[in-house]
Order: sequence, then C-alpha cells, then structure tokens
Amino acid sequence: MTREADVVRSLVEMSDTLVDDYDVVDLLTGLADRCVSLLGMSAAGVMLASPGGSLGLVASSSEAMRLLELFELQAEEGPCLDAFRTGERVEQENLQAGTGRWPLFSAAALEAGFQSAFALPLRLRDATIGALNMLNDTRTLIGEPDLIVARAFADLAAVSILQHRVSEEVQRVNEQLSSVLTSRVVIEQAKGVLSERAGIGVAEAFGRLRNYARFNGLRLTDVARAAVDGTLDPRAWGPPSRP
Amino acid sequence: MPGDRLQRILAELPPGGSSWTASQLCAIIPELAGVNGAGVMLMSGDVPRGSLCVTDDVSQLIEDLQYTLGEGPCVDAYQQDTVVAEPNLADPPGRRWFAFTPPAVDAGVRAVFGFPVRVGTVRLGALNLYRDRPGPLDPGQHADALVLADVAARWVLDAQAGAPDGALAEELENGADFHFAVHNAAGIVSVQEGISVTEALIRLRAYAYSHDRLLPDVAQDIIARTLRLG
Repeated sequence: MTREADVVRSLVEMSDTLVDDYDVVDLLTGLADRCVSLLGMSAAGVMLASPGGSLGLVASSSEAMRLLELFELQAEEGPCLDAFRTGERVEQENLQAGTGRWPLFSAAALEAGFQSAFALPLRLRDATIGALNMLNDTRTLIGEPDLIVARAFADLAAVSILQHRVSEEVQRVNEQLSSVLTSRVVIEQAKGVLSERAGIGVAEAFGRLRNYARFNGLRLTDVARAAVDGTLDPRAWGPPSRP
Repeated sequence: MPGDRLQRILAELPPGGSSWTASQLCAIIPELAGVNGAGVMLMSGDVPRGSLCVTDDVSQLIEDLQYTLGEGPCVDAYQQDTVVAEPNLADPPGRRWFAFTPPAVDAGVRAVFGFPVRVGTVRLGALNLYRDRPGPLDPGQHADALVLADVAARWVLDAQAGAPDGALAEELENGADFHFAVHNAAGIVSVQEGISVTEALIRLRAYAYSHDRLLPDVAQDIIARTLRLG
C-alpha cells in the first residue's frame, strides 16, 4: 500500500469515530500511533485542555513518551505547551542546540534519546483545545508532505472532539426541556383536576395547589402528581381556612 | 457559501446578538422563504407539544390542525427526519393527510412544506411554511429554509440552556404556546367522567376529531364549562 492510501484509510477510520461509540482516548491514541507509523516519528503524544483550561496528557505512543510528556507538564515548559498556548506550530530541529528554549524539557528529552521535536495545536477556528507533540530520535525538520498529513490528522481530531462536546451539551439541554415540559403538563392537568373538584377557576386552583405545597413543605410537582393520580389530600383544594 | 447565507439571514434580525424573541425570528421567515406564512412546531416523543411561533392565522390553523390530528407536514418532517413538500395541496399526486388537507385547503392553503428543526441528531420539531398558490420552493428558498430551521433549533436550545433548573425558559414561557389549556381540560374531564387524565385526553381528541373542531378550541369550552363530554 502506498503511503497515500494509508493516509486516506487513516482519515476514514478516524472519521468513523465521529459517528458511533465515540471515545476520545481511542481517537487520540490512534492519532499518536499514526504519527509514528505514517510519519516516521519516533514517538507522539496528545494533550487536551480541561474545561478549566489546564492541559492534561490523554494519549502517547510509548511509555517513554508518556513519561516525558508528564514531565513537560510538571516542568511547565515544552513544545506541546507552546503549541497549545500560541495556537501555532512549534518546531525544534535540534533539541541540543535549542536548550535555551526549554532547558528542563530538552534535557529530559535528550536523555530519553530524542533529538528533535515538533508540535501542532489541536484547533478549530478560534478554539485551541489541545496539542499534538511529535519527537524524533534524529535531527529532522518535518517535510511539507508530512506536515500536511499531520495537520489533517490534528484537524480531524479537533473537529471530532468539539463536535462531540457540542452534541453532548445539546442532548443535555434537550432532555432537560423535555423533562421540564412533562412536569409542567402534570401541573396544568392538576389545575384542571382541582378546578373541577373545588368548583373554582383554573387560576385559583393553581393558587391553592401552590399554597398547599408551600404550607406543607412539598414540591409543587409532587403535589400536582398526587392531584392527577387522585391521591391528594382533599384539604389541598378546600377553600383557604380562616386565620 | 452556506456561511454567507446564514450571515445574510442573521442580518435580517434585530441587532443584539441572539436576544430576539421567537416571534421576531418567525417574522423574517416568510419573506426569506418566499411563502405567505410560517410556524415552528415543537415536538417530542413523536408528538406535537406546541408551537414556538406563527406569523398569521392560517399558520396558526396549520399548527392547531397538526396538534389536534397528529398528522401533517410538520409531523411527517419531524417523524421521518426529512424535508416534506406538498407543492399542490388541493390536487396532490399522492394521498396523505386525509384529515389535515380539507380544512387547510378550505383556509386557502395551496402548498405546504415541513423542515425538520434539529441540532445534529437531537430533534426538536419542524418548521412549517405555506403558500396560497401551488408551486415548489426554488433552490434558494429551500436552502434559506434549511438555515432558518437550523437557527430556530439553536434558538430554542439556547433559550432553554439559560433557564433555571426545572423551569421553562422565560422566552418559551412567554413566547411559545404549549396548549396548556388542553391539559387543564384533561384534568377537568378526568374528574367529571371519573377517568384518568390520559383517558381524558384521548376522549377530548376523539371529540374534536368527530366534531371537526380544533383541540385547543374544545379545551376552551371545557374550561368555560360550556361543554361537557359525558
């Protein structure tokens, strides 16, 4: 199979995660692994920002990479952090020469056998939600074709995650709307029930429902439910007692 | 470009971010979609729950008919999750909406269209468009209607997202019509006839259907005590 075919197949596989059984860790682990297998990187790692804005490590292609990325977070310096903060790609062809940039990270990376680093933000328009880090054990500048592929993978991952987050939020609000409406319908039915039982108007019936709930420390929806089920204390719809 | 279409549509709304009312949103639809009137029907669990907004009496009728009968372009659009078009309601090629069609045609409707109102896979209802002359929407109108349906869906979710826990959003409370009177009436009938509210709703609906009346109107008579089902 040509590299092109592999890339296309990878994009399709990653797109599949947009549909069923979405798992962000699987998606990003796949992303890291593909950077290694298709782009010839020695190791790759992916970080995602929490709702609070701090980065956390989500996936890495090897244990050595995982430890190094954790170190990067701890030391608060490194290519992944820079890519996330700036929203721009970051490259260091020669970690040895560039130790001024990330003194602690470079030392740790060199010790682990890595010589160069390259990072891309995970972003969609204005939203940068994380970063992809790639390390090599030789001094290499990433070539344009590989850069395009890496960019495509990173963009797809970002879109996928953002899409999923929006979808979750939408579902939550919709379920809440449905549930609120259902409760409200029961209250409206209860108003009718009480209106007929007490021989009063619907608005006045609501007043008695509410007062009964308040006076007895009950939730309005529970009182309404009881009214509709026919289990409500008749005192609920009786005229208000004189003080 | 889709983005341009959305921008052009949003420019029709009053300035101020997304703080328009439901009726302001509805008001811009007929001209953009090239129709006489529009309404947004809200649905869940496969049934109409109410109406977000309507632009005129005929659209109100179209909503009420679908609410009463449980059939029509919005109902189909929502249940089938697809755009539904009947460009020649008075002489349609196929047979559907047996109960909905005659009163709609009597009111002057000659073409109806239903566009699902949803965000992603979350379905909220459908946008209804009608014309007093037969004919399909042209591609531009169709595309605008798709965007408008999308804007309506986001408006609803946005409004409800800002609501306090357990309450309807104020914009929905004030702007939308969830036919609460029908539920008041079901409560009344349940006591009058000694039946459950579920059964009462069924009987109300059956009465409306057999007397060629709209359910919300029957409900008003029940509440006014000028009608008793027994």
